[in-house]
Amino acid sequence: MNASRERMLANIRASLNTTRATLDVEATRMPHTAPPFVHRPEDDLVAQFAAEFAKLEGQTHRCADEASALGVIADILRAHHAPSVIAWEHDKIGLPGLDELFAECGVVALDPHIVATDRKERLQMLEPAPVCISGADVGIAESGSLLIAHGDGKPRIASLLAPIHIAVLRASQLVRGLGEAIAQVRQERGADLFADASNITLITGPSRTADIEMTLTLGIHGPREMHVVLIEK
Amino acid sequence: MTTQTLSFYNRVDDALRDGSLRTALDRATSRFIGNRAAALAALAGPDALRDQARAIRAYALAHLDELLNQLSDNVEAHGGRVCWAEDGAAARRYITDLARERGVKSIVKSKSMASEEIHLNTALEQAGIEVIETDLGEYIIQLANETPSHIIAPAIHKTREQVSALFTQHLGEPPTDDVPAMTRAARRALRQRFLRADMGISGVNFGVADSGAVTVVENEGNARLATTVPRIHVAIMGIERIVRSFEDLGVMLQVLARSATGQKLSVYTSIISGPARPNESDGPEEFHLVLLDNGRSQILGGKYAETLMCIRCGACLNICPVYQAIGGHAYGGVYSGPIGAVLTPLLQPDLPEQHTLPFASSLCGACQEACPVRIAIPDLLLRLRADAVQQGKAPPIERLAMEGYRVLMTNPALYRASGKLGGIASRMFGRKRRFRQMPPPLHLWTRKRDFPAFPAETFTERWEKRRKSDER
Repeated sequence: MNASRERMLANIRASLNTTRATLDVEATRMPHTAPPFVHRPEDDLVAQFAAEFAKLEGQTHRCADEASALGVIADILRAHHAPSVIAWEHDKIGLPGLDELFAECGVVALDPHIVATDRKERLQMLEPAPVCISGADVGIAESGSLLIAHGDGKPRIASLLAPIHIAVLRASQLVRGLGEAIAQVRQERGADLFADASNITLITGPSRTADIEMTLTLGIHGPREMHVVLIEK
Repeated sequence: MTTQTLSFYNRVDDALRDGSLRTALDRATSRFIGNRAAALAALAGPDALRDQARAIRAYALAHLDELLNQLSDNVEAHGGRVCWAEDGAAARRYITDLARERGVKSIVKSKSMASEEIHLNTALEQAGIEVIETDLGEYIIQLANETPSHIIAPAIHKTREQVSALFTQHLGEPPTDDVPAMTRAARRALRQRFLRADMGISGVNFGVADSGAVTVVENEGNARLATTVPRIHVAIMGIERIVRSFEDLGVMLQVLARSATGQKLSVYTSIISGPARPNESDGPEEFHLVLLDNGRSQILGGKYAETLMCIRCGACLNICPVYQAIGGHAYGGVYSGPIGAVLTPLLQPDLPEQHTLPFASSLCGACQEACPVRIAIPDLLLRLRADAVQQGKAPPIERLAMEGYRVLMTNPALYRASGKLGGIASRMFGRKRRFRQMPPPLHLWTRKRDFPAFPAETFTERWEKRRKSDER
């Protein structure tokens, strides 16, 4: 324990001697449990997600099966003449056939490793990739969001660095609201959410800014185009 | 920016005369207000959600000591380091020393009000380290050498022409009035800064005690880049910006973006705990959390403790008729608007004239109504006014006026006489039922606004007459 920590805690405790009781009354006025969802529930989560995601300028590609999902990804890669991509490990994306697809399209999956190596050089090599491809852990229908628990084989830059982001999501991964998503993460990961990974990110549409004259512009730092390939089977 | 050296009232004058500022403020605040109202109206139970948010913030403050201990221990357990900074100087020293020890030459920053509060950039630049703000609005005002005028939209006071001129001057871009083109230019320029940076510094929207995590909320992706790409990530957090658990965070996220911009969630919410683990291929190799007190633990013990519930959404700025008219710079401190008028005297007591800020409010109550955690801002402003008067900081002329008012109101004969005198003066000098100019010291009033003329007949006279006619 260092001295400044002790002093700060002592100051806080001295202050709370006067105000803790009042604050605690306020704290118990409402239960803290997050509501599972906050909008009126809809039955068709796939349609709700697609509608919300469209409002964010994102594109949902509803695919009946894996084959048509692969077809959609191939179309996007070809449309952008992508020579390379930044992608999760393919088994983490959860869509068999990506290796063959990349070979067929002549696309190279770059090594996303930047830790404990020559970071700046690696980043310069990754920078030109036009497309990044990830999976997702949970889809949130009422806000059109993806929850991604990054970690082993699931790099953060595969949803961040390139101007186009493709995310593969299964209809079975959809929940109504953020509260449900949080409960699910807690159930899967237990008390220590960050035991073996450092980052959980919620993504709600493509990168945006309105900092110049309140004019909405996409892709200021993150991807300007975001595709969710939603497999319904 | 020279506004810092002008007096508060001169800054207000300047702001009111700035036509393009007024237009920009109108556009931004009316958009934010509309979006926020629509977002809340769409909720099944917006009031219950706000009550929950307030309860969660109250819990966090009531248990701040244990939650900070828990956060700190968990960050360290996940491989991060924690600096407990009692004041701005301690935080600045920790970060500049760290940067020097690690041979850091270039830093990318995402938005952090706490770092503005302690003037971190100046300290780093004095140590010979390059610091680049990467939020588009912050980048623009950094190029212009100004300070943020809004918590959420720091550069709303800038027109597209002014931004284009800055990009021409600093980035060599051709002049344009096309906003997407300017945005692309900023992306290109800043992308290389990210890839070459040795350290990323971010603010923190919420520390999460049970997870040992910090949450960073943004729309652009610059905070994700700053916390992922450079080798070192330093997060700086006011000690009060904490919640107990991941579940509590879930409630706060539901109100934050809706109150700020009307979005259901901001585009990116990063929840980060410690550096990259051995099996991760990206993320920083070092993670440092700076817990900044800087007067907050003192505020916690007094009648302004509620101020610390603030989640910096900016809703009270947008809704405030004073902020709408004068913008953020006039307030002089880092925090502006109604909550700034409370925070600045408390957090920056050495700032000249900070005690005048609580007087720049009509106490209309719109801020409290808009606040997602229902902070009683008008009450707090009144208490700060009372403090200022008790500390003898009110101008002598105002004390004289109040004393005069007291004498007048407690002396019926004098009150009646003054009403009569006013009526006579009004007939002699009042034009169109108002005074354009008054003799000193009342000229201080009429310099800014008209003074209503007294009616020819005073209230007591009318009352007398009416009573008599009723009796008949």
